[in-house]
Amino acid sequence: MTIEQTRPDTRRFTGKAMPRKEDARLLKAQGEFGDDTPVANLAYMAFVRSPYAHARIVDIDVSAAEKVDGYLGCLLPDEVAELTDPYAELQGPPGDAEVDRCLAAGGKVRFSGEPVVAVAATSREAARDAAAAVVVDYEPLPHVVDTRKAVEPDAPLVHDQVGCNVAFESTFDWGDIDFALENADHVIEVDELHFHRFSSTPLECTAITAEYDAGTDTFTFTGGFATPQLATLNLAGALRHPTNKLRVLSKDIGGSFGIKLNTHIPATAAALLARKLGRPIRWTETRTESHQMGGHGNERWFRNVKMALQSDGTVLGLSYEALDDVGAYTRYEPLGAVIWTQVANACYQLKHLRVHYRSVYTNKCPTHPNRGYSRTQHLWLVERMMDIAAHKLGFDPVEFRMKNYIQPDQYPYTTVNGCVYDSGNLPESLRKALELIDYEEARQLQRAAAGTGKRIGIGIGSTLDSGTNNFGQARLLNPHLPFGGNSEAALVRLGIDGAVYATTGAVAFGQGHETTISQVVADELGVSYDDVHVQRGSDSGLSAQMGLSGSYASQFAVTGIGAMLNATRKLAAEIKQVAAAVLGVKPEEIELADGKARVVGDAEKALPLSDVAGIVHFSPASLPREVAENVGLVGRAVYSAPFDLPDLERKYGNLTLTYATQIHACVVEIDEETGQTTLLRYAMVDDCGTPINPMVIEGQVHGATAHGISAALFEDMAYDENGQLRAGNFYDYHAATAFDLPSFRYANVVSPSPFTPIGAKGMGEGGGAPLQAISAAIQDAVGDSAAVLDSFNPPERVLRLLRGLNAEKVKVIR
Amino acid sequence: MLLPPLRYLRPETPEDAVAMLSDVDGSVVLAGGQTLMNMLKLDLAHPDALVDVHRIDALRGIEHDADGTLVVGAATTYAELARSPEVRRSHPAVAEMAAGLVDRQVRNRGTIGGNCCLNDPTSNYPPLMVALDARFRVLGRDGERRLPASEFFRGTLATAVGRGELLTTIEIPPMPQGSGVAHEHLQVGADSWAIARAVVRLDVADGVVADARAVLGAVYGSPLRLPEVERRLIGQRATPDLAEAADALQDVDVQTADDVHCSAAYRREMAEVQLRRAIRAAVERSVQ
Repeated sequence: MTIEQTRPDTRRFTGKAMPRKEDARLLKAQGEFGDDTPVANLAYMAFVRSPYAHARIVDIDVSAAEKVDGYLGCLLPDEVAELTDPYAELQGPPGDAEVDRCLAAGGKVRFSGEPVVAVAATSREAARDAAAAVVVDYEPLPHVVDTRKAVEPDAPLVHDQVGCNVAFESTFDWGDIDFALENADHVIEVDELHFHRFSSTPLECTAITAEYDAGTDTFTFTGGFATPQLATLNLAGALRHPTNKLRVLSKDIGGSFGIKLNTHIPATAAALLARKLGRPIRWTETRTESHQMGGHGNERWFRNVKMALQSDGTVLGLSYEALDDVGAYTRYEPLGAVIWTQVANACYQLKHLRVHYRSVYTNKCPTHPNRGYSRTQHLWLVERMMDIAAHKLGFDPVEFRMKNYIQPDQYPYTTVNGCVYDSGNLPESLRKALELIDYEEARQLQRAAAGTGKRIGIGIGSTLDSGTNNFGQARLLNPHLPFGGNSEAALVRLGIDGAVYATTGAVAFGQGHETTISQVVADELGVSYDDVHVQRGSDSGLSAQMGLSGSYASQFAVTGIGAMLNATRKLAAEIKQVAAAVLGVKPEEIELADGKARVVGDAEKALPLSDVAGIVHFSPASLPREVAENVGLVGRAVYSAPFDLPDLERKYGNLTLTYATQIHACVVEIDEETGQTTLLRYAMVDDCGTPINPMVIEGQVHGATAHGISAALFEDMAYDENGQLRAGNFYDYHAATAFDLPSFRYANVVSPSPFTPIGAKGMGEGGGAPLQAISAAIQDAVGDSAAVLDSFNPPERVLRLLRGLNAEKVKVIR
Repeated sequence: MLLPPLRYLRPETPEDAVAMLSDVDGSVVLAGGQTLMNMLKLDLAHPDALVDVHRIDALRGIEHDADGTLVVGAATTYAELARSPEVRRSHPAVAEMAAGLVDRQVRNRGTIGGNCCLNDPTSNYPPLMVALDARFRVLGRDGERRLPASEFFRGTLATAVGRGELLTTIEIPPMPQGSGVAHEHLQVGADSWAIARAVVRLDVADGVVADARAVLGAVYGSPLRLPEVERRLIGQRATPDLAEAADALQDVDVQTADDVHCSAAYRREMAEVQLRRAIRAAVERSVQ
């Protein structure tokens, strides 16, 4: 594979901490989010939601709603069944018998909070009142909220027609784990570990506007769609409407983190009402609704976990059974069943791995891809097992990790399942992280704490953020799915004024795309940072998008920037062609610098880009005919990631292009009487290859760290035995704020990716390293007499750990 | 409606406010709005009228009587209490609690009277007011009532303030020489709900506890005063060993419940932990 790499060190803007272009408008509250855009004749939608986890809908009475001032109309499940097709399911039989629509399908509700009726009114308040006036008569049915019970033979069925609660099941078996377990010096067994449910609570809940233009029979959707073309495809299928008569737009989006990949579902209801009522319809999710169905990450049980090791501390491999709780519907799921295999090895030189994986329906909110989607769970399990093994067998936790990490000279490193880790330096990253927390001194602190009523624990988290995914992996789920590889598009043009206008196919939701695009485009064209204007938001109607366009799977720095570079190079070639014609030289004698196209070696002979633009836009007759006919001063290009389709038989192949690494280390203090955990020191060392904007990277690392810490200590989307969400909004769901967080200690390591256009890797999701680091630190603090087997550790659980929780669940077989 | 149609009334004086509260059906007091507005938004409260008292001058302000009693207007904000040098000097516990309360936005709007009148089990001030023997001046049509804290707090979200009445003033007696007050709590995160709260006041003279208050918050409907603990504290030498008095809690039927943050058993245990800590801290703070 040969890819031309631009060397950023010679660049004016790329690699520098340029101030973010987005910040001025966002900080002055001048951004335009989903709920902000003024639309004439706008009506508002509200949902009537199920209070039951599982129930049959006996009757729906909207007569009281009709009397509410401002009521315009409503949408009922029967109507939806008649007017729409169910969303396409990714899985094959029997899970493909699932029927999923924008309102409760098949006369049943399957989770508390599921929309049953959509009501429209002239104001959002009237819509809410009218929704509250709708009377739905339910007949409660037995429900199941615990994944472990859902797979038992007598469990209530979430979808009768599927015949069981397993949406997807597969065994992934690489190497020879049976041989390893039989012959290894040591085998560690853990009965059961649990990765809990949490969300990413974006600042902006979902907000969408659906407009229907009867004259052109066209729907326009504006709002938080993370993948506009896939959303179009889903909407077209559901609405039985031609794709070319659907347009998906976004402006500013206040965070997605993956959970806005399923916006097409409420958008379907809004579209139906917009057409029915002849008015634009807006739906703005409340925080409570966001908790009810805005997207929970995957909850996963790991059972019968076995790890094989040698007495010198070499880890050979592991095996486990996974029960993944996908909630009541598989939406992006069960893709999680294969997504985790992108990081099958985690950070380690594993040789053998077997996972029996089941995606399981429960009567809970459907899961959405949530930051670190499906990888975080597996990475946590592997790191937790590494940590438990080190404790149980007496290996030094640092040396043990160092020894088993993939070593710098092993890259590109092929994993057990054929993924290729591009680059990295894990040992160096760990050394830096330990330096940042002053590891040796922290150990002294730990010893000194004995007898004070406080325990000190030190923990390490080692994660990967696999970016730019190969959609061919979807075929591991279902060989009939028509996906393979990944690509993104970009459009760059020189405007009439000589300024540069760039449009990306990606969808920004706060990551600073306008900033990083400006940096690389300015460098490529030799113009100033301020001369590049990046279009805010996205538009599926522009040719800047490919089918898989969007922001997900940590890929923008590769696919988005790659496409932008390719497009810019096309534009540069056209500029050179024009300048060459005007200056009387050959195009290859022209270079672009200082806002000019100039002759190499003769800086006097130069044409400002504004002149190039002026001639092409206003005086084409001044150009030779063949130039005038060929030049539009537009570069449109794609970046297609170099992938092959995986081997479906062996479940083998490269599934992602880049692997950013995150090594975190922390020091916690635990109050022996309360179990309360306080973070004394927290360090993260990030390696995402060649940085485009170090400040943007550090900001995203801070965000991912805060999210992970919050998830580890505060955030839990747990359900009670009645199938009710316990923390229904921010009243009870504590998302960490600055008050809860220590001052972060950050450093980076730069291991350029050999596979990407400028050596950069996707990042931003992180791999959930704080969950690992905090679990490990608590384990370190409580010692060997208990086992941290849950990713969520609030004070009460930590107190139980101090008293020996789970000790019996970990066994050293030999 | 996000806010159902309701009347908004802004009286000029406490007497006007009382008149409105008496005359207008379904009227409630709006002071800092830190709880009420959220309850309205969540459709948990359904008043017909809001009587906004937060701009009534007579309800705001911090003064000291001749005998040193701290007289605080009910609509005085946490921020005003936190930054008052006089309160810091005379009743440091009152100022400290205000300074540590949630975040700046809440401190700028929230009022001590609102916190007490809400009497949410997790509220900060009720247990402190009990420990400090505060008196509550409640104005009604027929004049003013003066209630001790023990009679003011009646149960979960309930106080002695009746229909047509308004809490106008909180009086906190001067702190006896040598007394130490400590407030200890366990919270969800740094600034969210309290899981357990304990306030202890020790009046120490010549190294001996002359009088004591021990009060729990967040575990029970109202602040829970612990006479048995107090009895074990009074007459004892003020040393850290006094924390053992918290053992008496084991004989108290502390009714509490499981919630989203923890189990009842944990909350009960934490109440005892906080109580011990508060005793120890109060001993440290008392001037011996």
